[in-house]
Order: sequence, then C-alpha cells, then structure tokens
Amino acid sequence: MALLEIENLTFTYNAAHTNALENISFSVGRGEFVCVCGPTGSGKTTLIRLLKREISPAGSYSGRILFDGQDIRQIDERTAAAKIGYVCQKPEQQIVCDKVWHELAFGLENLGLPNEAIRRRVSEMACYFGMEDMFDKRTDELSGGQKQLLNLASVMIMQPDVLLLDEPTAQLDPIAAAEFISTVHRLKTELSLTVIMIEHRLEDALPLSDKVLALENGRLKLFGPARAAAAELAVSPAFRDALPSALRLWGRFDIKSEPPFTVGEGRAFIESSFSNRVRALTREAYSHSDAPALEFKNVYFRYDRNGADALKNLSFTVYEGEIFCILGGNGSGKSTCLSAASALVKPYAGQIRVFGKKLKDYKNQTLYRNCLSLLPQDAQTLFLHNTLREELDGVDTQDLPFDLTPYYSQHPYDLSGGQQQLAALAKVLDTKPRLLLLDEPTKGLDARAKHEFVRIIKALRSHGVSVVCVTHDVELACLMADRCAMFFRGEAVSCAPAAGFFADSSFYTTAISRMTRGYYEGVSTLDEAERICRLNVK
Amino acid sequence: MQGLAFYNPIAAAVYFICAAGVAMFTMNPLLLALSCAGALSFDIALRGLRGRQGRLPLFILFAVMALINPLTHHNGATVLFVMNDNPVTLEAFIYGLNASAMIIGVLFWFRSFSRIMTSDRLLYLFGRLSPKAALILSMALRYVPLFGRQAKRINSAQKALGLYKDDNAIDALRGGLHVFSALVTWALENGITTADSMSARGYGVSRRTSYAPFRFGRADACLTLLCVLLAGAVCAGLASGALAFRYYPRIVSAPLSPLACVSYAAYACLAALPTILEIGESLKWRCLKSKT
Repeated sequence: MALLEIENLTFTYNAAHTNALENISFSVGRGEFVCVCGPTGSGKTTLIRLLKREISPAGSYSGRILFDGQDIRQIDERTAAAKIGYVCQKPEQQIVCDKVWHELAFGLENLGLPNEAIRRRVSEMACYFGMEDMFDKRTDELSGGQKQLLNLASVMIMQPDVLLLDEPTAQLDPIAAAEFISTVHRLKTELSLTVIMIEHRLEDALPLSDKVLALENGRLKLFGPARAAAAELAVSPAFRDALPSALRLWGRFDIKSEPPFTVGEGRAFIESSFSNRVRALTREAYSHSDAPALEFKNVYFRYDRNGADALKNLSFTVYEGEIFCILGGNGSGKSTCLSAASALVKPYAGQIRVFGKKLKDYKNQTLYRNCLSLLPQDAQTLFLHNTLREELDGVDTQDLPFDLTPYYSQHPYDLSGGQQQLAALAKVLDTKPRLLLLDEPTKGLDARAKHEFVRIIKALRSHGVSVVCVTHDVELACLMADRCAMFFRGEAVSCAPAAGFFADSSFYTTAISRMTRGYYEGVSTLDEAERICRLNVK
Repeated sequence: MQGLAFYNPIAAAVYFICAAGVAMFTMNPLLLALSCAGALSFDIALRGLRGRQGRLPLFILFAVMALINPLTHHNGATVLFVMNDNPVTLEAFIYGLNASAMIIGVLFWFRSFSRIMTSDRLLYLFGRLSPKAALILSMALRYVPLFGRQAKRINSAQKALGLYKDDNAIDALRGGLHVFSALVTWALENGITTADSMSARGYGVSRRTSYAPFRFGRADACLTLLCVLLAGAVCAGLASGALAFRYYPRIVSAPLSPLACVSYAAYACLAALPTILEIGESLKWRCLKSKT
C-alpha cells in the first residue's frame, strides 16, 4: 500500500485569484525517493508544505492527502509531528538551540519524552551521523554543511516515515551538497525511509532518485520512474537546464539509447555514439588588456592575532574588462580576499591596488563611488526598506540589462532567490562601479536564474565593467570566466585563462570536462561538447 | 572535566549557594578571611597562577573599598589621626577592610561559578524549574551572538555599497540606525523560518520535558549532603550568637566557645573543599600517568 496518497489536490492561497496547485494526484510507496522539480513559482514548495500539516500555507484546498491510509487532517498531533519530517533550505535559521546536543534533543523534548529515552536516541543519532566530535559544540561554530546535517539529524531523531526536503542543498557548497544527498540516500536505503525532495541541482540527486515529479504552473507535468521521466524532461525547455550535464548532452541529440545520468554513463554514451576523429576544437587565444583593475601583491591577513593566516602571500592581478573567477574550497580565503579588496578588512602586510591606486589613498569613502562595489553572499544584507520600490528609489534603473518593475510593490524578502539577487545587483550597480566584486552570486539560484545572471554579467562586461567573482560553482565559472584562479589555504596556487584552467584541472572542473577527458581535448562546456560531438557523428 | 565541574550542576550550585551564601550574610572577620582564602585558592586552582586576567582589578577594588570606609565614616572610639577636621578611626578602618573582604570574596566565588556553570549547566538548572524557561534561555544564548554577527555583516555590506558618505561621526550614527532597522527586519523575517522549524518538530504538541546530559549520582548526593551539613554547622554558630562580632563603638568579639570552633572548622572545610577536589583530581591523574 502506498504510504502517501494525494488525490485531486487543488490549492488556492488566501486572497489569490488563481490556483497555486491544480488537480494533483500521485502516490508514493514506502522507501521511495522522489525528486520534485520545476521552475520557480511552479508550486513545489506549496505542495511539499501541504504534506506537512504544521506548516501548511494559509489557503483553501480540495482533494485529499492520505498518510498511511488516513486523511492528514485527522492524524493526531504527535504522529503528525514525528512521522513526517521536514527540512527547508536555510541551514542557519532552522536551528533553534545553542548547543548541538540540545538541538538534537529539541524534537523529543517537545514530545515530552523522559530524560533516559532522549539520552539514548540522541546518542544513537549522533553516532549514526558521525557527530561525536561536534556534540558539545555551539551550533554557530558549525559550517553550513554541518548545520544542514544537524537539521537532518534532529528531524531523523523523531523517527519519521516520510522525509520532506525543500531544496536542502541550495545554500551549500558542492561538496557539502553531495555529502548531504548521499546521507539522505543512505537513510533511504538503510531505514527504508520515504523521501520527497525538491531540488534544483539535479546533478547529484537524479541518479539516486526512484521517481521524478515535475510541476509546471501548479500542474503535474509528469510523475514516473526516474529514467523515463528524465528522458522526457531532457527535451523540455523549462526543465532541461537543471538536469545533469550528461543528460542535457543526450537531450541535444536524437539518439535512441538509455538516458545517461552520471559522468560515467555520459562517457559511455559519448564513446558508443560518437567517434573521436576530431579531438579538439579550434579556439582563439585569450588576451587581456594591460591596464590592471585589481592588484594583490604579497598580501597577508589574519582575523585574530593568534589565528592562522587567512590570506598568505596572496598575489594576483585582474585586468580591466575581464571576468575573473576565483575558485576554491571552504576557508581557502576566497571571500576574505574580496573583503580585503573592498577595504572591509585590513591586511597586515602587502599591498592592494585598485585601478593602480593604493587602497589607503582612497579617502572619504571614495573607493565606494564610481569605483568598486561588492555584492555580498547574502543579498538580504543589502535591503533596508519594506518594498522594492523604496529599496530602488533613486537608483538609476534605466541602463540595467534587466527589468524589476513588475515586482516593485513586493517586500524584498518575498522575492524569489533569483529576483532578490537581481534587486541586490541593481543596488550595487547604482554606485556605477568600474570593478564589480561578486561573492557566490548564484548560491541558491535555479538553473534558469543562473543562466540569466551570467547573461547580465557578460552584458556588464561589454559596458566596460571588470568583474571578480568568487564561487564554489565550477560550472558557473566555466560559463562566465575569462580567467580563473584557484585558491588554497589563502594562496592563489594557479591562475590561467579559463579554457586552459579547466582542461588542466582534474577534479576542480566541470562534469563535461570529466566526461570527455582523454577522448576529446579541452572540452569543458555543454556547447563545446555538442559542437565536437556533431563533428564526430558516426 | 575535573574537580567541582565533574559533579552534577545541582550539587555544584548547592555548593556555591552554601559557600557564597555564608560569606554574604556575615561580618565575622575569621569567616570572611576563610571565604576569601577559599575563593582565591579555588580561582587559582581553576585558572592557574598565570591566569591573572581579571584578578588584579579585583585586588584594586579591594584596596579602594577598604580605604573609602574610614575616610567617610567617623564612628568608633579609637581615633588614629585627624584629617580635614575629621577623625579617622581604627574601628572604621577594620570595618572597611572586612566589608570589602566580603564583597571581594563573593566576587571571586562568582568568578569560579561562571567558569564552572557553563551555559548547558545553567540550562539544566533552569530546566528543573521550568522546561520553557530553559528553552528561552537556550534560544537567547543562540540568538544574541547571531544578531551581533548579522549586524556586522549588514554593516560591511552597506559600507561597500556606499551607505557612509563621509568619514564623520554623524554619518556613522545615521548609517548605524539604518543597519539596526535592517537587522530588525532580518530577524523578524527569519524568525518565521525558525518558528516553522519548531512547529514542524512538534513544539507545543504536549508538555515539554527538558533534556540534559547530566545524571545525579551517588557522588553528587554525597557532595550535596556534605555542603548542607557544613553550612548548617556554620548557620548554627551564627544563629546562637557564638560567632557574634561588633565593630562599633569598640571592637567586641564573642568569647571562643566550642560551638564557635566547630563552626569555624566547618566553614574552613567548606571553603577549601573545591580546591581540595581540584588538586586531588590532578594528583590522581599524575599518579595514573606515572604508572603507565
């Protein structure tokens, strides 16, 4: 019997004229992993929150939601709270308590369990998740990935049958995201947990899913086994950008074969369908201008006197009119480098020049006028007002390569991630910067918003703006960068034009590059892969 | 974990209440001296001789308070000298010395208290009283630093955006207000996520319990009982008047009775107890290490 059954579900938000969800029916069996995808505003979050009674959105719905054969509105409170678990995309804000052990115990305390029972389950869960080392730590000492694992663990401790995940990896770096998804998969296989996960980064999630549920404008577009569903999504313009690279490449050709999900399957697909007579594409050599926009020369910085160096002998140069991407793991000094460039922190040795002038020669905040501007990681730190109109009041929006006027009456926090990022960008561009610093600009954005963002940044470059972008996202860097640098422990260990950079690295590179390595040479983007494959049709 | 920190927070709290409580309500110089000696030696045992940070200000405070009393109070029969037409008396001097010894002793007890009673221990104590209060305390301990960090983040984001037009104080104040209002909005908006996360995990479903990773074992019971007995002996001495001590107009002490001796001995034990536990623990470790 199905564990969750949704029958003809239609939902309307209070004071809304259109249905947010319309006539949705599907059922999920015990131990199934369902991946929910769809463009922003297609009703994914609404659907998943309707399945969790405590946080159901305000509105009216018709149809039925059955959990274990019982209408979800009639389940008693304890079962509803414990048996259906929910984790959302914000790692920080979901945590309630100050210590890790207390956060783990929080749900069980709510259920009124005695001390001994809580002690046992808390220890069990900490063991299972490998959290012994951080058990006594403060929750704010954890990294984003650890926080999200803690959120997962403190839901799992209530022994749920169904786990609902709303873009749980959106705010994580790729390595933490992959770890989170594989942990979820382990829970699914070892505990036969039912998982329903909204995800926009399908590269990791799709290969592990049993079923895919696609929503479009509040309607069920398709629901079925992952392979079959993926084959259909690969040719749909609204969905294909979010799919794994192998699948997107497959979708661009009309070849009858099993749709590939992973890098390995993608490689097999390429080798079986295309020859490698033409091994490389011709490409123009990259040349930059000679005028430096940002120079770091032997810069050292540490946050406190006894700490380790966050920046260590850091030297690199960004030239005018180029997009420069900085890649690197957590704590490699990427963000610190942007703070130093924008004079928010002061290095203890070395020199930073912006457009040839030393940072300390920019007096009276002139650095921040017509010169340099920083888009911080958290766009919400930029908003000071209650509507977007007030927020952008006085901001010259004429020349922007995007339009925000349809959202002017909304609160900035109510915009989607992509819209928030664009609103933040509009504010940042108001100072007419010639050098734009971006800190993880596409964190939490869906594939479409990401591509839109890349288009906008490239448009800005053609207007003469130099861009420095710090990111974890290799695919983004590959789409956007003219030159790339890799940071490791506060140093720039390599710095090269993008094409060569991705061809040379073996791990810090795109899925396409890993897929084609050794078969073709220097292919790192999807478009390049498509072009070379077309040249090699058997 | 060692010494007093090894015991259940309830036992530790009972100890501090007994030791500091007696010191707070007596002006008997011997008891105050014992309190100061005990508190100071425990502080040294906890933080080491080198951990002087914060100790020096307390000594200066002691000296200042001890001197202020004879300069402002002129009671007492034994005039030492006359300053600005005001007599400075021996009794006022001794009284000032004792009063500041009381305050410094209690401050040192609190210094050790804050070292031993970490947030989870306090939380455990509150949880015994009310699980809700414990949760509120835990959330406050989490959110206060969180807001501080977010304020810093907003400030630097706004700074790089050119919120501050000039390098002057008025501009800084204006910017600060903006940052504060942005912080309030952020806190309210994100509070919704926290509230969702709480109700998703069954907050309010039934009567909350309060979990804490501490057990109350036999050693804890022994320590608690010992503290209560020792404090009881001191209180008996105080109540019977055997420890009475008068400063004005002349210093008069009650004659040394057997009960007074017992009381003094009991308080000496009580004050020295945590230091003994602490030193005993480190000696035990040294023995264990040398055997292996």
